[in-house]
Amino acid sequence: MENLFIAATPASPEVNFDFQTHTLSLKGESYPENAAVFYGEALTRLRKYLNLCEDVDITVNVALTYFNSSSTKILFSIFDALDEAAQRGNRVAVNWFHDEDDDTILEFGQELHADFPTLGFTDHITTNG
Amino acid sequence: MTVITNTSIDTEYGAFFAEARERNVIFYYVGYFSQNIIAAMSDAVRLQLAVSGADGGTRRKLFSSFVEMAQNIVHYSSDALTPPTQDDGQLRHGSVCISRVDDHYRLICSNPVATARVEQLRATLEPLRTMTLDEIKAAYRETLRAETPEGSKGAGLGFLTMARDASAPLEYHFQPIDADPVSTMFQLVATI
Repeated sequence: MENLFIAATPASPEVNFDFQTHTLSLKGESYPENAAVFYGEALTRLRKYLNLCEDVDITVNVALTYFNSSSTKILFSIFDALDEAAQRGNRVAVNWFHDEDDDTILEFGQELHADFPTLGFTDHITTNG
Repeated sequence: MTVITNTSIDTEYGAFFAEARERNVIFYYVGYFSQNIIAAMSDAVRLQLAVSGADGGTRRKLFSSFVEMAQNIVHYSSDALTPPTQDDGQLRHGSVCISRVDDHYRLICSNPVATARVEQLRATLEPLRTMTLDEIKAAYRETLRAETPEGSKGAGLGFLTMARDASAPLEYHFQPIDADPVSTMFQLVATI
């Protein structure tokens, strides 16, 4: 399956879905005008990829410094799809990065962890600034 | 041609600048909003907040509410230069203002909405005003898991995000526009 790479802009993250190495990364800011439009292709490709995964180790890196409300909704859909793949026997390891004083992103990560217990979840604190 | 002298600058604009200073306005924009304009304003707002000495948590909450307000204008203002069917690259009119009030920051946004939408907005906003922070967080979690409401581009989470980040209940006001009865001016205030 062909990899997906979208370069970052000031208001949208770098999307790097390396399906060959089973490493999926989101990095940067996320407040595109229309999150459903921005993430549409990425979500479609992700679901196709996950459907093909059997007994695979998948690594997911989320290092978003800010995401708006509509991006939050999309992130939830992404984790929902990952959770489904994990329930079918794949192993999904999530690395969740946030600034040390960013309680909103910390709490959202904890919530995802609680909601989707089949996902391996590691919280990483990045240095402020 | 009218010659502008130092005296007339002061007469015409002195009161405006004095009022802005007195009210501790740290950011104000009125005009058309696009995604590019919001990204540029975001830079300006972040810089202002960084030099203002607010702590990291407050700055993040302010920034978050600022983006939600600005994007609400791009999505929902009824004064649009782009067709209503367009879901990206939109241009719509409104204003945002950030000022310091005592120990808090106050964000105000304003834009016209269709008068037909007023009751729906009121029904969404009014319950948020009496909810505790825990209730707001619970409603947020529930909305996050629900299907996106029809006609919503923000997943219905925008007002809940602002209510969660605010230190006081959200305030709102609807002002009829006499010259254009199908439109109503909508104002929303978040105190962080």
